Amino acid sequence: MDFQLSSEHLSLKESVASFVKKDHSFDRLRDLRNDPLGYSKEVWKKMAELGWMGLIYPEEYGGLELDFAFVMVLLEEFGRGLLPEPWISNVLLGGNLVLMGGSESQKHEVLPGVVSGDLMVTAAYLENDGRYDIDFCATSAEQRGDAYFISGKKIFVLDGLSADRFVVTTRTSGSVADRNGITLFMVSSQDDGVKLTPLKTMDGRNACILELKDVSVPGSNVIGEVGRGYPLLSEAIDQATAGLCAEMVGGMHASIDLTVAYLSERTQFGKPIGAFQTPQHKAADLFIQKELALSSVYYAIASIDEKTDERTLAVSIAKAKCSSAYMEITKAAIQLFGGIGFTNEGDIGFFLKRAKVSEILFGDTDYHLDRYTRLSGY
Amino acid sequence: MKVSYSSDEERFREEVRKWFEDNTPPDVKDQTLGGSTLEHGLMFKWHKTLYEKGWISPEFPKELGGAGLSETEQFIFNYEYSHCGAPRLKTKLVSLGMLAPLLLQHGTKEQQDRFIPDMLSGKTIWCQGFSEPNAGSDLASLNLKAVLEGDHFVLNGQKTWTSMADHADWIFLLVRTDSSGKKQEGISFLLADLKTPGITIRPIEALTDHAPFCEVFFDDVLVPKENLVGKMGEGWKLAGALLQHERLNAFPVGELIYAIETVRKNSAKTIYRGKPLIQDPVFRRKLAALEVDCNSLLYTFFRILSQLKVGSAPGPEASFLKVYGSELYRRVMDLNIEALGPYGQSWYNLEEFDNSIHQATMGWINSTSLTIWGGSSEIQRTVIATQVLKLPRK
Repeated sequence: MDFQLSSEHLSLKESVASFVKKDHSFDRLRDLRNDPLGYSKEVWKKMAELGWMGLIYPEEYGGLELDFAFVMVLLEEFGRGLLPEPWISNVLLGGNLVLMGGSESQKHEVLPGVVSGDLMVTAAYLENDGRYDIDFCATSAEQRGDAYFISGKKIFVLDGLSADRFVVTTRTSGSVADRNGITLFMVSSQDDGVKLTPLKTMDGRNACILELKDVSVPGSNVIGEVGRGYPLLSEAIDQATAGLCAEMVGGMHASIDLTVAYLSERTQFGKPIGAFQTPQHKAADLFIQKELALSSVYYAIASIDEKTDERTLAVSIAKAKCSSAYMEITKAAIQLFGGIGFTNEGDIGFFLKRAKVSEILFGDTDYHLDRYTRLSGY
Repeated sequence: MKVSYSSDEERFREEVRKWFEDNTPPDVKDQTLGGSTLEHGLMFKWHKTLYEKGWISPEFPKELGGAGLSETEQFIFNYEYSHCGAPRLKTKLVSLGMLAPLLLQHGTKEQQDRFIPDMLSGKTIWCQGFSEPNAGSDLASLNLKAVLEGDHFVLNGQKTWTSMADHADWIFLLVRTDSSGKKQEGISFLLADLKTPGITIRPIEALTDHAPFCEVFFDDVLVPKENLVGKMGEGWKLAGALLQHERLNAFPVGELIYAIETVRKNSAKTIYRGKPLIQDPVFRRKLAALEVDCNSLLYTFFRILSQLKVGSAPGPEASFLKVYGSELYRRVMDLNIEALGPYGQSWYNLEEFDNSIHQATMGWINSTSLTIWGGSSEIQRTVIATQVLKLPRK
């Protein structure tokens, strides 16, 4: 049992923190609201140069081959500043699926590009009528000769507008909610029959609707085995979820810091409002929720790192906890700030919006509670 | 980072778990939820069993009668102890848990040799005399007067909420020896034999129908001056140091996990319209939400443990174990009684129903006290706000 971070972890933390401080600001987020992508390619390139896209990838694909706790450290700092660059979708979803299930030639074709920041890959797996279920898949892939023909519609594809490639879930056998019979394909945004409809999320980031009409892909584009895509997807989404939870904890830290600073300086009735017990006790509650959320993230990250059988359960615990804690903290923060909290001139509102999007991303509290009950064998 | 114990720690955990599983008598095990209402005779017997095993205070060094456990082993021991359903040991809590470490740090050699061995064996039972009718959350307002006359202090006044006073032999006291300066500065720390003439003890009946605490009256009580711990006027500082020893023991997380597992078991046994209650979509989600919170608190202990292991002081996360743990415990006990349906209103129907129903309702009533004693939730939140978050005091 050891939740201590090493000096290498702490040194990454420092360099990410100083990067976020230097190359990012809340004013940048204000500007990016009107940008369809919601992030900057220039900042993305700089991040790649620092080696961060290859953080956990093997050295032979250009990665640094570090342990999973580095993901936590990196994303927590991104979360403090609300850095909008699409690290989770590219590194923990798209690239990760290739890393976990791809053939050697697929890995060599895709991963160096992800590491250099030149190739954008995400995953497309959510469908209408399936809410958050990642095993709900009606998109079909029909084999004709050597090729598969894919038809269907994916919604809220994370960072989908900027993606060059999509790892798409398809149904090759079974009924719509079966875990068996899901096959992963690599589809290019340039393929015939692919249509992207841009979406914006509340926090200013991008997503898209991905429509596929008889899109022809060769059999060599299957990631992993035919019909066995679900375990790969599930593992990748668990890792992405744990990463997101670390980002959420970073946002909780920053929200509380901003709120405590405001409570200490804002004066009413002749004293700082933070000297009144009602805001004091509310602030104490927010601190407690943040600390609990952080503990749940440590456990999930360490479980993934050690590949214990409990890791899936640990991820659902963390996501359920972080979703409710981040929402509680940011909603209360807006209230404690008063009027200025409800404006785009203040910074705290960015955290509320990111909290809502993060709550929904990879399944909300109730989704993860239900998943927890099933995994626990209730 | 590592989420599992080392193989040595795992072996130790298994040894402790097995021993408590084999040796905790059913009549001790069955009365533990929501704080113990264990009958005193059974508690003394259980104390003796642990003493003979060498596990009454395993956190102490071997030369002092402990087992010299490391920080991790201590955590494992405490966790497995309460996770098997063994009771909070009131005979140990204030003596070996609080007073003994204080005497080792601030007491005289004579005081250490005279008192600590009998605390271990259970020959002397101690109680804690801090609160008074007008000194609750504002403890420094205490007013039990102690005037030094010759070789003795003369005590006049009253203590209250003194747990186990009616079964204890000795009491440690915060007394007022000076009223002239700041109220914190005129307090001293005394040890008194409860058989001394002039002491009257009146048990107070709680909502459980038990009398877990008492009022203690002092009427010209003579306490020898060698029973002063530290110097005159140092009592407030010593009381602070005494609470420092709680650290990870501020909240018995193993007991919380035992409680939530009990709810899970009870709701799997309870049948509603042909199906276990645990399969009811609303109930299971409530249970899952509580389990998530219980686990998050447990992982917080792991986080603190990691810091203690490398010798650093626990950070701010240690400040909320008691306030959050006690409030979470109350929510767990609420759900436990909810699972019972109509049986949740039951009171002492031991002949009619199985003991788990009595345990649930008694535990539920008992849990309402957890957020009051040992620093109320309100006081704890103010402490977090001003000392951890550094919000202004005025």
